[in-house]
This record gives sequence, structure tokens and C-alpha cells, in this order.
Amino acid sequence: MKRTLQGASLAVLALALAGGTAIADTSGKRIALSNNYAGNSWRQAMLRSWDKVTSQAVADGVVAAADAFTTAENQVTEQAAMIQNLVLQGYDAIVLNAASADALNGAVREACDAGVVVVSFDGTVTEPCAWRVTYDYHSMGTAQIDFLAEHMPQGGKLLEIRGLAGVIVDDDISRGIHDGVAANPQFEIVGTVHGDWDQAVAQRAVAGILPSLPAIDAVVTQGGDGYGAAQAFAAAERPTPLIIMGNRQDELVWWKEQKDKNGYTTMSISSAPGVGTLAFWVAQQILDGQDVPKDIIVPLLSISQDELESFLETTEPGGVANVEYTLEDTQGVIAKAAP
Amino acid sequence: MSALSRPLARLLEKPWLWAFVGAALVWLATIPFTPGRGAGDVLTAAFTFATFFVIVGIGQMFVITLGPGNVDLSIPATITLAGSVATKLMDGQDALIALGFVAAMGCGLAVGVFNYALIRALRIPPIIATLSSSFIIQSTAIAYGRGLRIKPPPALAEFTTARVLGMPVLAICVIVLAALMSVVLHRTIYGRSVIAIGQNQRAARLAGIAVDRTRLATYVMSALFASLCGYLLSAFSGGASLNMGEEYLLASIAVVVIGGTSVAGGFANLPGLWGAALFLFLIVTMLNTYGLGAGIRYVLTGLIIIAVITAAGGRKPLR
Repeated sequence: MKRTLQGASLAVLALALAGGTAIADTSGKRIALSNNYAGNSWRQAMLRSWDKVTSQAVADGVVAAADAFTTAENQVTEQAAMIQNLVLQGYDAIVLNAASADALNGAVREACDAGVVVVSFDGTVTEPCAWRVTYDYHSMGTAQIDFLAEHMPQGGKLLEIRGLAGVIVDDDISRGIHDGVAANPQFEIVGTVHGDWDQAVAQRAVAGILPSLPAIDAVVTQGGDGYGAAQAFAAAERPTPLIIMGNRQDELVWWKEQKDKNGYTTMSISSAPGVGTLAFWVAQQILDGQDVPKDIIVPLLSISQDELESFLETTEPGGVANVEYTLEDTQGVIAKAAP
Repeated sequence: MSALSRPLARLLEKPWLWAFVGAALVWLATIPFTPGRGAGDVLTAAFTFATFFVIVGIGQMFVITLGPGNVDLSIPATITLAGSVATKLMDGQDALIALGFVAAMGCGLAVGVFNYALIRALRIPPIIATLSSSFIIQSTAIAYGRGLRIKPPPALAEFTTARVLGMPVLAICVIVLAALMSVVLHRTIYGRSVIAIGQNQRAARLAGIAVDRTRLATYVMSALFASLCGYLLSAFSGGASLNMGEEYLLASIAVVVIGGTSVAGGFANLPGLWGAALFLFLIVTMLNTYGLGAGIRYVLTGLIIIAVITAAGGRKPLR
């Protein structure tokens, strides 16, 4: 029954075919992106993906507007005020990357009460009236250990680089890693540092803890920190362990260099910044009157040894490996999320 | 007081002493958990990363010494801008290293002059002026680089990571730089003017000190040091990134304060910057080595910093 339709100008038609219900026309609807931070390459890629996909949707008349707004200081109060302004400006839906999981609930509740659809993603909110588009971060942890178990059946000593302390994503990934290690007792985590998802911070933290550690066989990470870890190992004149990579271009380039030099094998697992475009289509589908479950799980972006070159080709220098979603992709993801 | 104990008593009065004592204690507490050459390796790493804190700390210290209300919040954005501009211009070519340096310094000069223009011409308090200019600078860096991560020239990268007998070459250079700036602070008319303005700006003006020129020079210098940090940091960590300067805002102020410089201005010292920067790195290393959870780590970091500042502050009434 699956139809492949090229061109977003047919998106509305595709919607009618796939949805099977009457079209509630969204061409007059306006969707806003409320974003809390723009200061790293992931967020820049997210904003570019949003701009690319939504401007096409606007040009095709799927929606009337899809404007992006970013707070200057990554503050909860600032974003709460922004959400209130967006409601007053009459947007029909707000796609939200939130500065806090619960501190924005009041503003989100007000938006819902005013009849505005709120779809949160990446930084999601706990307010029940909002939709949540999330990655299964727990599986991001277990997938790394599964990969290691396959490539290092004899096991080994692991260094864990965590993200930003206090953020739920960091807890979820770390729990996944620890659950994976519990299921594969041949692995042992001998050190843990917080790299804040940042190359420079990860490099410094790893350089600090390395002298106290025995030989490390593999480094499990949360993305964005693999290259920094590799630099710290090189600076300490230690052999380079198997480091799980994220999706930043510099990480992939480093991996490619090692692969060409000595057949270095690893994997990359990460959240693609194009998830924002999926949240956009989810909002459009809700406005269209479709029945969308409140929690939608998005598959993680995983790159294997063989796929490395093709992803490198499509990833610009300084950018991140990315996947953008079409309306059809989104409908597939929604269908999977439905009970 | 005997002749022998007088130098000791004078040493104990030094406000920068406690940052070094703290750093040494934390280092000693880490050693039992680092087998073999570990103790030396920890120190090497500490000097490597403390270097960058010290570079921005020098500029911030001169600004803070200008007196209450003076602080430079545009340091992180300046680091990012200078790093992005320099790496993009150098484009990984050794021949363009000097050009990249000049470009980075040009960024610093522009930022410093712009900051002081806001402060002086528009009469905006420094804390607001540098905060708002940091938005403009950061946005410029985003528009210019879009998170571009170009590899630094190999020769420059090699220089920033080189070592002599386990000691990072860059750290040695910055120790010399700090010593030079110490002479500038205590032995030149400019340095004495900064201290005098910090103690009482009105009195300094009445005494005929060129207050405006001194303040302008100080804000420009702070931006220049931030640019230098951005230039070296992008070479050290394999390229510039949009958030590379983020953590240097609090760090630049922390090394100044922990190092025994007065937050109220008018009283500064250079050696404390090194003590404080080593101390800050070693605390994180120690707590990471102990394998404590993030929550306990942050609490302990806070408590240890309070302890050192209290110990240093407790000596002040003796002066």
C-alpha cells in the first residue's frame, strides 16, 4: 500500500491517501519554532534543517508560516515569555525545544488552554497536554555495548564519557551503558568523566583522569566528545582505544583518517538534528486533525564502518551528519508510535 | 622576630599563596590513585589546560582591578570569534600562521575598542556593555563560521601541544608572559595607574592620571588576551567551534578571585592566576579520579573553593 510520491507539492495529496480521513486544510495554519539555544553545531544544523524543510512546505502552501525563534540567553523565563508572545501572535502550533523539562510547564499549559498545539522535541517538556518527540536514549547506551560485545568478545576495560550533569538525556544514555555492561560482564567501566557533549571539555576531563587509569580498551561516549577523547589519548602518548563516535563532522573525519591508516573500526551513534523537521510535520499532522500519540520515539542515527564514506560526503565541514524528515517519513514514525 | 622567620612571615602574607597551597594539597590527594608516572602526568595535564585559563585570567584581572563594576563578560564570545576567524583564514596552511595571528589580534583590538566605546561614549555600565557586545560578537562568529571546524596549521598545532621534559612549551611561554605582565602591573606607569584607579577613580583623576586612556588600554588588552586564547585554543583542540569560549566566562573570573586579587579592585597579583588555574583543574581531576557522582563532585568543588578563598581572605587584615 506504500506509495512513494516525489515532490513536496504533492504532500497534501499524499496526506489524504495515507491518512484516509477528510483533509482539514492546514494551508492557513501558522507554526512557530521556539528554540532555547543556537550556540553549537548541532543546533545550527537543526535550525538549517528547519529552515530548508519548512520554507519548502510554506512555498508549497502546506502551511501559511513556519517561523523560527531562538532565545538569546538559554533562560527559562525568557522562553516562557517567548511562548506567551507566540500565543498572543496567534500561532496555531508551537514546536518547542525547551530550556527545561518542567519549568516551562506553566507557559505550555497556558498555550494549550489557548488552543495552541505544543510539540516538544529534543529538550521535551513533561506537561501532559504537549506532544513529545524523543529519541530512545537508553538504547543509545545499550547499542554501544552491543557493538563492543560483537567486536571485542573477550571484553575489556571501558572509559565512560558522560554529557552534561543534571540533564535527563545524560542519565538515560548512561543508564543504557550501565545496563549493557551488566548484561555483558566481560566489560568493566574503570573511569567516568563528564565531557558536557563538548570536544574541549571532554579532552580536558579525559586528559585529567587518564594518568589514574589502567590500559583502556574502549571509550563509550554520548556524541560530540569522541574527537576530544582521541586527542587526549594521543597527547598522553597512549594507544588509541576503540572510541564510539558521535555525528560531528570532525569526529567522522578523524575516524576516516584512522580507518585509511590502519583499518580502525568503530561506530557512530547520535541524534540527528533533523528531528526538528519531524516535530514540524507532527505539528502539521495534529493541526490536520490526525490522531497522533503523545509520545513519539524517533530512531537514532547510526553509522557503520561501511556507511562512513557516504555520510562524510553529505556532511559539510563543521556540520553534523543529519537526516531530514519528509511528511511520509513522519507518518511512518507516527504509525509505529500508535498503540 | 628572628631574621630567619621574617621571609617566611612575608611569604605567609602573600594573597596568592593559598591558591598554590590548595593546588598542592589536591595534587597530593590525587597521587595515591595514580600508579607509576601518573603523578607527573597529572601535573603535565594540569599545566596544559591551566595555560588557557591564565591567558584570559590576565586580561580579566586588569579589568577587575580597575575597580567596582568593571568586568569583561565578552571574553567567551571574543575567544570564539578570534578562533573562528583565525582558523578560517589560515585554512590549515603553515604559511598563513602569522596572518591568522594578526587577524585574531585584529578581532581583539576591534572588540576592545567597541567595548570601551559603549562604556565611555554611551555611558553604559561595563557589565551591561560587555554582555550586550558579547551577543553581537557571538552572532558575528556564528554568521561567519556557522560552526565551521577547519583543522589548524600542523606547525601551530604542534607548537601548542609540544613538551620539554614533560612541561608544555605553551605553559612555559605563558609563565614568562605572566612574569612580564607582573612587571607591567607593579613597575610601569600604566600598571600603577590601573591600581590607583581601582583604589579611587576620583582621586586618581585629580592626581592627573589619564583615567580614560588607562581604562581603554585595559579593555583592549583583555580582548587581546581573549583573542590570543581563542587563537591558541583552536590550534590546540583541533579547530574552532561555536561554543569553545563558553566555559571561560566563569573560569576567567574564578582564577582572578581564587588567585587572591581583590574583586573590589585596586589590588592585584599575577602568580595567583597560575595557582588558581592549576587548582581548578586539579580539583576536577581529583574528584574524577575518586569516581564520585556528579552531584557530590559539584558540592565538593564549591566547598573546596570556599575553603581556599576563606583561608586567603583570613590573611587580609594583617596587611
